[in-house]
Amino acid sequence: MTDEREITLTINGTERTLEVEPRRLLVHAIREDLDMTGTHIGCDTGNCGACTVLRDGEPIKSCLMFATQADGSEIMTVEGMEDLPESDGELHPLQEGFHEEHGLQCGYCTPGMLMAGKALLDENPDPDEAEIREAISGNLCRCTGYQNIVKSIEYAADELAAQPATDGGTAAVEPGSSADVAANAPGTTGDADGPTAADDADGSDQFDGYDTEGGFSCGVENCCGGPSTDAEHHGDNA
Amino acid sequence: MKAAPFEHHEPTSLSQAVSLIESLDEPTILAGGQSLVPMLRFRLARPDTVVDINGIDELDYLHEADGYLKMGALARHADVEDSELITERYGSFADAAPLVADPQIRNRGTIVGSIAQADPKGDWGSILIAHDGEVVAAGPDGERTVPIDELFLLPYDTSLGENELITEARVPTPVEREGSAYHKLKRKTGDYAMAGVAARLILDEDGRIETAGIGMTAVDITNARAADAEDHLEGERPSADLFEAAGELAAEQSNPESDEHGDASYKERMVEVLTQRALGDAAERAGVTKRRVTP
Repeated sequence: MTDEREITLTINGTERTLEVEPRRLLVHAIREDLDMTGTHIGCDTGNCGACTVLRDGEPIKSCLMFATQADGSEIMTVEGMEDLPESDGELHPLQEGFHEEHGLQCGYCTPGMLMAGKALLDENPDPDEAEIREAISGNLCRCTGYQNIVKSIEYAADELAAQPATDGGTAAVEPGSSADVAANAPGTTGDADGPTAADDADGSDQFDGYDTEGGFSCGVENCCGGPSTDAEHHGDNA
Repeated sequence: MKAAPFEHHEPTSLSQAVSLIESLDEPTILAGGQSLVPMLRFRLARPDTVVDINGIDELDYLHEADGYLKMGALARHADVEDSELITERYGSFADAAPLVADPQIRNRGTIVGSIAQADPKGDWGSILIAHDGEVVAAGPDGERTVPIDELFLLPYDTSLGENELITEARVPTPVEREGSAYHKLKRKTGDYAMAGVAARLILDEDGRIETAGIGMTAVDITNARAADAEDHLEGERPSADLFEAAGELAAEQSNPESDEHGDASYKERMVEVLTQRALGDAAERAGVTKRRVTP
């Protein structure tokens, strides 16, 4: 046998020390050594994202990392969600969202989806649909077609936005927020992509080659031989 | 499946790593691990020793210094993606970073690891080619720089010595009237490129192309330079016709294989299109105004 080494993980707030072989994957340490089977192993290749956990707040695939590499870090798994302040000892708003919006069928991908969703909402509490889809792009679901997963995360974003309002905080968000989801979610059309898509689609942006006759334009009138990286304009060479 | 047992080392300084690598027999270096870990667990790689460099803080940087953009061996894809410096000054890097794999993998995988892996489907090799970049390799005899054109030999094979590790990848900082871009075609989000093209243009004061760099992804046995297209561009004024011709030359120089993603002729056509698009964006970022028509 190879040597085992001692590592310490703070998993869902509890410090745990364990002996692992260097070849032991983090996901196996979590599931088998710590007996926390909420984190799933799906594909064994790093594709499916079912094993996603948060390491020091960042989503990572725990099947693509050795346990030794997580020594000293803070790991959060799906089991830790109910202890978060926003859960109030019950389901986390994300979990509630997956329940309310039918964000799962077989449920295999769900722990990973929840972790990816958590990482997104921590960074960006009010994501649009494209941002949600990007955030879960490393997580495969073979049942839902993703529509309801997106809705579930939108649901959680609205719930979380409404929460501070109950403490007298950001009141403005509160009443409109759930209506927003209702308006957005059912028939999510191409419009959801918002202004950038519309900009391209209006036809005014068609490309027809380059203006080279007049030299350059840096956008400043009567300047210049071209934009400079240090934003300094140069002599008129037109 | 589990990885075969290996001896494991975690150096905390570069000098420690270098002497370790020198003393060990064919060690494998573990950085981000997003390709290596699955290779180990499928036993496609069975090294006796693994040297994990993640604890070497001095290799964790992404900054400009001495006329280069320098990326240490622990700079992650996500570091590039989140960097304001990159967004402001390095169009091709900013284009490519969000297209690498998926968010979880970008949090762990490294630029240098991707280059050292020498997968022809890797994006960063093409970008280094377009920018005339180089890597810094450390070994028992000290450091040396290896121009990117001399690094890739075959898929997963580089010209590095067995006792060397890449500590840094770097490209020259942009000059005036420089622009770059990266375009990538992939079957679905998170996939490797079916084809990808990085382009970099530097224009002279007169508006002519002084320097052109074009690197291609996934269409040859390594990341490849489209040298004929570069030659054709230099000395000319940017135009749609010129870029179309450059695209054709790049496609001719590419050497894709037919596979489940598409046949070779389709991929060549994609190289042509992606080259035109990357050149168009690079030219615009270099300060050429696109002529637009309003219907």
